Amino acid sequence: MYAWIFRHLPGNTFWRVVQSLVLVAAVVTALFLWVFPVIAPYLELLGGDPAVG
Amino acid sequence: MGGVGEILITLGVVLGLFVVWQLWWTSVEATAQADKVLTEFRATLPPINPAAAELRTDDPPVPDPVGYGETIGTLVVPAWYGLTNNAMPIAEGTGMDVLDQAMAGHYETSQQVGDVGNFALAGHRRTHGNSFRHVDDLEKGDQIIVETAQTWYVYEVTDHEIVTPDQVDVVAPVPHHPDQKPTERLLTLTTCHSLTLGEYGNDHRWITYATFVGWMDRADGTPDQVR
Repeated sequence: MYAWIFRHLPGNTFWRVVQSLVLVAAVVTALFLWVFPVIAPYLELLGGDPAVG
Repeated sequence: MGGVGEILITLGVVLGLFVVWQLWWTSVEATAQADKVLTEFRATLPPINPAAAELRTDDPPVPDPVGYGETIGTLVVPAWYGLTNNAMPIAEGTGMDVLDQAMAGHYETSQQVGDVGNFALAGHRRTHGNSFRHVDDLEKGDQIIVETAQTWYVYEVTDHEIVTPDQVDVVAPVPHHPDQKPTERLLTLTTCHSLTLGEYGNDHRWITYATFVGWMDRADGTPDQVR
């Protein structure tokens, strides 16, 4: 899957690496800003509600 | 490499990123928000009078209740200096929207600061600013100080206990005795605790009790441990 994406990026190896890093950064940003905040309430292992009741 | 392997590795990396997000990024966002609230709150206050002054032990002024999410004051725990953000805003309510901003949340059913009864606060142990992370460092006699627009309220830690999350009586006016009429002025901190994972779990609650020792008008001076 990743090899397929890498092969289909335009440009030489250097530019492909640069584009790959941009893609990775975009995915991590999306996870941090939108995905993780939404799923966090369902994974209350660490965060959890610290109130009683 | 097979597609299944790539998917498994991806899942592993995403799980790792989730832990990083929860333990680190939530605190970055939350403490920035708490600092903003603190700065805005302090901008409305008269400047601190840095003079030393005696703590008064007569009846302290009791502030009027505020609406949900509004700032009541600041929680200062000198034992946490250098460990976490030891001055954090206190806001009304214990909803996650309040606590996730690295603030201490005031149980709406509990009494006001300085009043006879229980001024009970909740805060995160880990994540979202690690508000009460070092609650287990507090020892008998350590001060917990609440700053409001007019007054410094000084409490001293008396005891702690570890309870299950359904033990709502710990924030009663007289903890564990919801039917009794209070005679003392207490402050209670509640936060997550785990019997097996310590600060990383939330199967139990760590409850720290403190009792009122005195107050000071902001115009008269500033308590020793805050100056």
